[in-house]
Amino acid sequence: MSLRLAVHGLEIRYDAFPVLQGTEFTLQPGELAALIGANGAGKSTLLRTISKVIQPTEGSIYLDTREIKRISTRETARMMAVVPQDSGADFEFTVEDIVLMGRLPYLGRFQKEGEKDRDAAFRAMEMTGVDHLARRFVTSLSGGEKQRVMIARAICQEPRLMLLDEPTANLDIGYQSALLDLAVKLNREKGVTIIAAIHDLNLAVQYFDRFLLLAEGKVLASGRAEEVFTEVNIKTSYGVPATIYRHPLHGRLQVSVARGRPPVKEAKKLRVHVIAGGEEALPTLELLLSEGFELSVGPVSNQDSGYRFAAFYRLPVLEVPPFSPVAPALNDEHLQLMEKADYIVVPPIPLGEGNLRNLEAVEQALDRGRSVLLLQEDGAPERDYTGGKARELLRRMWRKGALPCGSLEEMLRVLYGGRGEDSSGNEKKG
Amino acid sequence: MPAVESSRIIRSRKREIQIKTLVFIALLVLFFLTFTLGVVIGAVRIEWRVAAGIIFDPLPFVSMLPGTTDAHRDILMEIRLPRVLLAAAVGSALAVSGATFQGLFRNPMADPYVIGISSGAALGAVLAMLTGAGFAAGGFGAVPLFAFAGGLATMLLVYNMARVGSSVPVMTLLLAGIAVSAFLSALVSLLTYFAGEKLHQVVFWMMGGLGGASWLRVKVMLPYVAAGFCCIYVFARDLNALLLGEETARHLGVETERLKKILLVGASLLVAAAVSTSGIIGFVGLVVPHFIRLVTGPDHRFLLPASAVLGATLLIGTDTLARTIIAPTELPVGIITALVGAPLFIYLLKKRKRLRYFNSPE
Repeated sequence: MSLRLAVHGLEIRYDAFPVLQGTEFTLQPGELAALIGANGAGKSTLLRTISKVIQPTEGSIYLDTREIKRISTRETARMMAVVPQDSGADFEFTVEDIVLMGRLPYLGRFQKEGEKDRDAAFRAMEMTGVDHLARRFVTSLSGGEKQRVMIARAICQEPRLMLLDEPTANLDIGYQSALLDLAVKLNREKGVTIIAAIHDLNLAVQYFDRFLLLAEGKVLASGRAEEVFTEVNIKTSYGVPATIYRHPLHGRLQVSVARGRPPVKEAKKLRVHVIAGGEEALPTLELLLSEGFELSVGPVSNQDSGYRFAAFYRLPVLEVPPFSPVAPALNDEHLQLMEKADYIVVPPIPLGEGNLRNLEAVEQALDRGRSVLLLQEDGAPERDYTGGKARELLRRMWRKGALPCGSLEEMLRVLYGGRGEDSSGNEKKG
Repeated sequence: MPAVESSRIIRSRKREIQIKTLVFIALLVLFFLTFTLGVVIGAVRIEWRVAAGIIFDPLPFVSMLPGTTDAHRDILMEIRLPRVLLAAAVGSALAVSGATFQGLFRNPMADPYVIGISSGAALGAVLAMLTGAGFAAGGFGAVPLFAFAGGLATMLLVYNMARVGSSVPVMTLLLAGIAVSAFLSALVSLLTYFAGEKLHQVVFWMMGGLGGASWLRVKVMLPYVAAGFCCIYVFARDLNALLLGEETARHLGVETERLKKILLVGASLLVAAAVSTSGIIGFVGLVVPHFIRLVTGPDHRFLLPASAVLGATLLIGTDTLARTIIAPTELPVGIITALVGAPLFIYLLKKRKRLRYFNSPE
């Protein structure tokens, strides 16, 4: 049932402007491939060329061993079905009418749809879960329902290759995953070779086996997610820095684009050291970074989100090997780092035996005259995992003059307001 | 294993078929009633039994009623019958071409004259009238021949203007048609301005009318319209696919470029023939297909034949009105089609609230 699709040296120019320049790839029978790439990379153009809407300027496309140029439109429609991005369902046809149109390439000019065709249409509607809508007008359906009707029509064509052009665009997350489940089912059960243009990489990675990354009309990378989703590839094709990591739940690769370096309002000379450790530190880090403070990040494991944040923005960070205590040498380094900071911020992170050492270091810095801000310091019994030791430590720092801040805004007010006063104080002591 | 469909779906499908059958039967009954009225009613009253006797005289076992005069026979056979038949042919041609253009352009505003065939035909007709060309061929005078040639020449011109390589984008076709149409209309107005004593003839022609009906015209038009209809009807299913967009139609195996050419030529020939025999009769081609769509939906396999029947009925009816309302003077039928058709159409629009098709023409 499956079909092999081979694309050789495809070139397309729109008014001398090149869209595809030497696109080259092969899909083996039964492959399930996602076509990814930035807007304007040529995804839609490529799909439209494969489906014979556009004639390539150069190059050739093969279905199994036959060049598509030599296959009639009608026969092509029996081998390949296309699910368009826009359903075009503006007319009052019933769902059944629309799905039955999938039989068009099989019907003779004077032949009426027979039992066999009605059967195929019904099965296709059943498979996509729109059989109960058979007699409804497509114009009355929701976007997700329409999309499933278009897929039913494509299935009704009994194709061996299916092209989907951004099938999940305009769908809510529920319909998105239902739709991709359907594509996988079609691929596994009927062996249909599938290629789908898709924008949502993190969604695609959960469903597709193979990825084709298109950039500037060429296949920049092709293969499994691990081969295609690299920081360099994403930067080259999408032009943004991204972090690639494994999803904590399903372990597949995820691409995360932070919003570049946050737009800095105004660079400040003030240096702030943040004791990270846990995701709770991230809002503090991001806010301080976007406000333009010079940041450094306290000893954290390289598995920690604070470490990833610091690494991503190339901030000075002290790295602790995973599952290890803070070594004395590192502790000294920590003290030196804090020595250079105007402020030390302790975000509302969970406090365990692991970072008790860090808090003790903060206390030493406080004793040496550093300004310390304790975020959301309300005694915090629920994030104390040290049986009261951490809480006691925080109280002691508070008594020694560390400033408690109820919120991030309060922290900012202190950092801005206390600037002159504190820096002069530092000078005296320094 | 046969698929199991719910009885609700099967019932609903049956109902649709029943409704369509009933609607079509109703249209046919209406057609025959109007046809009979058109033959019977006129400046001279002829009883319907007398009329039936005359018409079916050639058949065995039928004879004319006593008291039937030769004058009756002549009025019926030489004037009314050809006129009613011509009205039927022209009405069908306009309605079917209107439906085809609306589908082809996916545009509810399209009518038979949208790509300028009527303007080209008008230019031809006006030229023939003003030059007083005595040219004639096959029993046709210069005016219909010039009009036909003008219409087809316009279609070819517009087609070639819109062509890009071997393909014809429908939007370009539509816009080129509108531009050419405007240009030719301006030429027609210019000529009309200098028409002098022929002004009345020119204006009257452009309003449209079936006054020139003759058996010869019927004999040419009827088979011609039948052929044109069949040529379009054969592609009804492809036209349905085309409504979903050209790319989708291609993906379903339709040779869209060839289809567009066939539909364009087929519909244009129908329009050119209709205009050359009876001038520019408006509204029939625009309204009749919409009327059918509002009642039974966009499927061209039903829309095309139903439009043909309703178009014929509407034009026979309005033509009968046009020639009897202030008999023996005739009104141009185009005036009546608009006067009758527009309010009827607006009523239907209001009743159905909105056109639930043509949501977004391209």
